[in-house]
Amino acid sequence: MLKNSLLALVVCGVIAAGPCMAHAKLQSSSPANNAHLTEAPKTLTLNFSEAAKLAMLKLVRDGKEIAVPLDKDAKAGQTFTLTLPTLTPGNYTVQWAAVAADDGHVTKGSFAFSIA
Amino acid sequence: MEIGGWDIAAALAKAVTYAATFGAAGAVLFLLYGRALLRDRQRTLVRRLIGILVGAAAAAGILRILLLAGSMSGEFAGMFDRTFASMILAAGEGRSTGVRMAGLAVMLFAFSMNPVLSRSAGLGAIAASTSFAWVGHIHGLVPNTAAALLLSLHLLCVAFWLGALPPLLIIAAGTNLSQTAAAAARFGKLALRVVALLLAAGASLLLMLIGHAAQFWSSDYGRMMAIKLLAVAALLGAAAWNKLHLTPRLLKGDARAGQMFRRSLLVEMSIGALILLTTAALTTLTGPP
Repeated sequence: MLKNSLLALVVCGVIAAGPCMAHAKLQSSSPANNAHLTEAPKTLTLNFSEAAKLAMLKLVRDGKEIAVPLDKDAKAGQTFTLTLPTLTPGNYTVQWAAVAADDGHVTKGSFAFSIA
Repeated sequence: MEIGGWDIAAALAKAVTYAATFGAAGAVLFLLYGRALLRDRQRTLVRRLIGILVGAAAAAGILRILLLAGSMSGEFAGMFDRTFASMILAAGEGRSTGVRMAGLAVMLFAFSMNPVLSRSAGLGAIAASTSFAWVGHIHGLVPNTAAALLLSLHLLCVAFWLGALPPLLIIAAGTNLSQTAAAAARFGKLALRVVALLLAAGASLLLMLIGHAAQFWSSDYGRMMAIKLLAVAALLGAAAWNKLHLTPRLLKGDARAGQMFRRSLLVEMSIGALILLTTAALTTLTGPP
């Protein structure tokens, strides 16, 4: 009886499973990673693999942080577009942290771009 | 994902949360089914162990939330940032932590002299050990009800198995070989069914999370899962040795088997710690492919 119940539970579990999603990964950004730009971008866009809340974003140039307004109360989404201040030529690094809406995991990363 | 010191610290805090929660829950369950196997002084020791582990689990759980918040900004001040903490708690960690804290509190009824209250500690053990199913990778599955049920079953079985080892060690540390033999035999009989359920639930979850065998070896998650599975195999080997070789010798009054049983329990506890550490890393630092 126990063995049959166990088998039924396992079979039901496997049949009931659907497609699997992982942590919220940054799929693309604008500017793209390692992009060399001739003009300063006006916005910064991050596209994630699944819905997440963008918890932190830092824009750094030559070790100095540049303030970028971030609405931490914004709803979870896959795409975030932030307005940038006027940027001068140089090498920039964007550091971000997000919390996935479905599994609650924190993911972090960074990407870089330059303005000639 | 970029992994730094904060992430490793958060994973370690999670491993401690696992160990303390399962340890406390398993000890509570042991008091329920193995009460008659314990002498008064041993029962007191087990209750004291439950109290210490409940405190450790609560503290480690809170520390982990703070470390996750700190990891978001990479700065110490981030640990106490309310926005980061509320984001983490709102995404499922809040439910999981709330259920676990409630379960840990109810487990303290194990100290009560009232038999009804002391038995209700078992409900706390179930709530606390299954609390980890309220958040995590399975919630990326659609639908996830079956996965949540399987994970809850898996976690309860882990608590039963690993959490029984310290009380068994308390018994085995005594000089009464027949008491040790009786405890080993009783636990071994129950553990046979529990381990079967644990493995079946775990295997099903693995199939759900890693859809294709090729992804198993090509992903960090799969490779880390391989380490966990190796450790589980080692633990099964040690447990089988206990049941099939040492327990019969204990029942025959073999004093040397008593010493070997104690050492074997310590080995099982060490492997169990490795499994929990690997699981904490799996669930904090990586994700299914």
